[in-house]
Amino acid sequence: MMTARRLRFLARAGAVLGAALFALAVQAETLRVLAWPGYADPDLVKVFEQRHKVSVLVTVISSDENLWERVSANRGADFDVFAVNTAELKRYVDAGLSVPLTLGNIPNIARQQPRFRDRQAIPNIARGNDVFAVPYTYSEMGLIYDRQQVKVPPTSISALWDPQYKGRVLAFDTGGHNFSIAALALGRPNPFQLDEAAYKEVTAHLVALRRNVLTFYSLPEESVQLFREHRAALLFANYGTQQVQQLKKAGADIGYVIPKEGALAWLDCWTVTRGAKNKPLAEAWIDYMLEAPVGRALVERQGLANTVDSSSDAGSSKIIWLEPVEDPNRRSSIWARIVSGDRLVVLDRLP
Amino acid sequence: MKLGLNIRLGALLAAFGVLATGLTGLYSFTQSRELLVRAAERDLLSSTQVFSRRFSTAVQSMSGDVRLIGELDVTRSIAAGAEDAASELHKSALADTFHAMLRANAAYYQVRLVSARDHGLELVRVDREGPSTVRVLGDMLQEKAHFPYVFNALGLKRGEVFLSKIGINHDVGSHAALNRPTLYISSPVTTTGGAVTGLVVITVDITRVFDELKADLPPYRKLFLANEWGDYLIHPDPSQTFGFDQGRRVLIQESIAQVQPLLDGKSPQVLAQAELGDKPEPALGAFTRMPLGLGGKSGFVVLGIAEPLSEILQSTRVLGRTVLQIVLGFSAVAIMLALFAARVVTRPLKQMTREVKRFSSEHVVGGLPTQRQDEIGELARGFDEMQARIASTMAELDASRTHLAHMARHDNLTGLANRSVFIDRLEHAILSAKRNGGCLAVLFVDLDRFKHINDTHGHGIGDMALVQAARLLTSCVREVDTVARWGGDEFVILLEAMDEEHEARRVAQTLLDRFGRRMDVNGLQIDLGVSIGISMYPRDGFDATELIQRADEAMYLSKHRQGNRYSVFGNESLT
Repeated sequence: MMTARRLRFLARAGAVLGAALFALAVQAETLRVLAWPGYADPDLVKVFEQRHKVSVLVTVISSDENLWERVSANRGADFDVFAVNTAELKRYVDAGLSVPLTLGNIPNIARQQPRFRDRQAIPNIARGNDVFAVPYTYSEMGLIYDRQQVKVPPTSISALWDPQYKGRVLAFDTGGHNFSIAALALGRPNPFQLDEAAYKEVTAHLVALRRNVLTFYSLPEESVQLFREHRAALLFANYGTQQVQQLKKAGADIGYVIPKEGALAWLDCWTVTRGAKNKPLAEAWIDYMLEAPVGRALVERQGLANTVDSSSDAGSSKIIWLEPVEDPNRRSSIWARIVSGDRLVVLDRLP
Repeated sequence: MKLGLNIRLGALLAAFGVLATGLTGLYSFTQSRELLVRAAERDLLSSTQVFSRRFSTAVQSMSGDVRLIGELDVTRSIAAGAEDAASELHKSALADTFHAMLRANAAYYQVRLVSARDHGLELVRVDREGPSTVRVLGDMLQEKAHFPYVFNALGLKRGEVFLSKIGINHDVGSHAALNRPTLYISSPVTTTGGAVTGLVVITVDITRVFDELKADLPPYRKLFLANEWGDYLIHPDPSQTFGFDQGRRVLIQESIAQVQPLLDGKSPQVLAQAELGDKPEPALGAFTRMPLGLGGKSGFVVLGIAEPLSEILQSTRVLGRTVLQIVLGFSAVAIMLALFAARVVTRPLKQMTREVKRFSSEHVVGGLPTQRQDEIGELARGFDEMQARIASTMAELDASRTHLAHMARHDNLTGLANRSVFIDRLEHAILSAKRNGGCLAVLFVDLDRFKHINDTHGHGIGDMALVQAARLLTSCVREVDTVARWGGDEFVILLEAMDEEHEARRVAQTLLDRFGRRMDVNGLQIDLGVSIGISMYPRDGFDATELIQRADEAMYLSKHRQGNRYSVFGNESLT
């Protein structure tokens, strides 16, 4: 009698186990996500996994080059969805690695600020009627100033060249952006496309900038240390609000402005690969990334802005989304000479 | 199969021995291992401290060079900016000194004199280029005011020295120093009035400095260096270093979390687990905060020296092997001792068992280890005593049994065989005679005047007379013949192998003759006289009862005829 009951129990347990295994096999669908650090924290990923009964595999990337290598490696078949900035997005679309989205699957787009829904104003995210990417997070490069020394907040990017701040300006050690901001300061309409005449003019202007700055920093911590130790008055915030937060945390009395010429800004978007196994699921991921808790995590944990909040004071300011520049290598090599201390007598001789 | 006490006791003792040596070995191994790791930790800590001091000495020596140049008259004169005919001569003289310095110190990439004016324009500059040195001139001199080693040094007083952060030098046209990890050491040049007119800066090949210091470290010890934010500057895996220079951060606190207190300034040194090399291998590292720069506002770097655990535990392995050998050796000794001890205990027990068995089978006493002075000796003596007692009791029992057997087969008074023994022997003799075809005779003897003697002299004399009569009867027959008391004054005699009747008659006649004489019984002269009946086998009967009865009948006939005579059955009758 006992034996018979036990057998029945075993049979039932076996059936349950079999069903569970079958369910597991059915649910074993995996969404493969490529993201920057802090874009897909485990707690946020878990919510998505539970809601869609899938598992999400997040791979963290460390640089633009790293991202390109991973996505292009197997013609986009190794990942379903990835985050890329607008300047980089172009080559993915050109290569066909990024495919148009079905916007109906991403209803949360309606929650985004109008600026991020204006697909014509944001470079590269749309071609014709095809939308390739949805903006996710951004950071603009404004000006930080010391409220003790700078009584009237600067309005123009030209403040970096202002002789009254000589030796108290901190700029960022990079060719690409510095050529663009010098072009903006000179009133050039498109800072990303410079002609020969502009090159000469911008180069000279960057030598002038070099002569006006205390130094060029590389790391955000370094900028905070220099700002405080050398009582800098102005800081070009390459890391945007992240630096504002760090300086405030370090006790600096600072202000932050977007100059009237506009602030350069990178904008990271989500896009789906051509190799995506389940495109609607990848689009569901993008939709989830636009939800309020995820956006809040960006602000609170990473010091980055999201695309849904209306609170950002940069809301009405002029933002210039980064675009690929005419010749990044040329900008880099000239910048290397400028920052090394070469004088115009040498720079003017360059091709 | 049942295990003997020998094996069980031996195994128990051996197990105890092996367990004891094993535990002792394990304990001493773990203790020694702990001590070794502690020693390695101390060694690593002192190694990092020594390394840090030696680095600081090297930096001081290089700082001395920078200060020395700054103090030269020619340097001060050039920095003061006098533009005359002599200034070019001064510059080339200083350049010669710079060439000499670069040749003398392989760790120097560049030696420069930089002006405090003209946006930090270089005034005299000599670079290392491959095996030689080259002076940079004219338009190729660069403006350096935006470099920390310039604007910081310009804020210093005479004789003070600035140390830059360690970074990758990207200065275009810097020859050998291009794209190399560098440290700048600079010091202001002042007028006699103390006004800063320029600075002297030496670009240091930091890799070379560390390589030279590292040469004293054993090759398995790996060096780590991180800046004050934790970015790796030196790492066994070079791809981990200067990550910030390529736009990524590879931070020591992310791979070795225990160093965080060093970066926060909460601890001067820590011990931590690290991973070494491209094939990460666990290591023990000592990390210390090493000041970089002079004065109160100096920066720091985190210096670490790590050693693979395998290297530290290398000696533990030797120790472990030795301990194992000792444990095995002692275990073997313990097993042998245990077997010996077991034998010592069980051998006398076996001996006793053997002796007790022998005693019970052969009744042999002795062979027990009674001379021993221990518990076994006591036990043996107990056994011995018991054996002796059993032996004596058995001897008594044997004696009384023999006596009882004799009593059962013999007449109490005369010592002659009794009636049942006689019948036994007669039946036996009949069988034997039947087999051999031989004959035998039975004599039935009755004392003629016994009743009279009894009545006259009493039973005591009667009994004595019976005893004497028995002795007389026995003396008149052969050894092989049987005389038995039949009861009262009746006796029976079996004469075996008596083939002829006359032989029986002769025996009967001998008896008549003897009993015809007077007997002296206890001083009394007594005439007993006998009546004898003879029956012969097989003539008169075939079995014992028949033969005895026939002899009795014949005896009765003799008695009837006044006694003192014999009759042969069948020869005479009462008629």
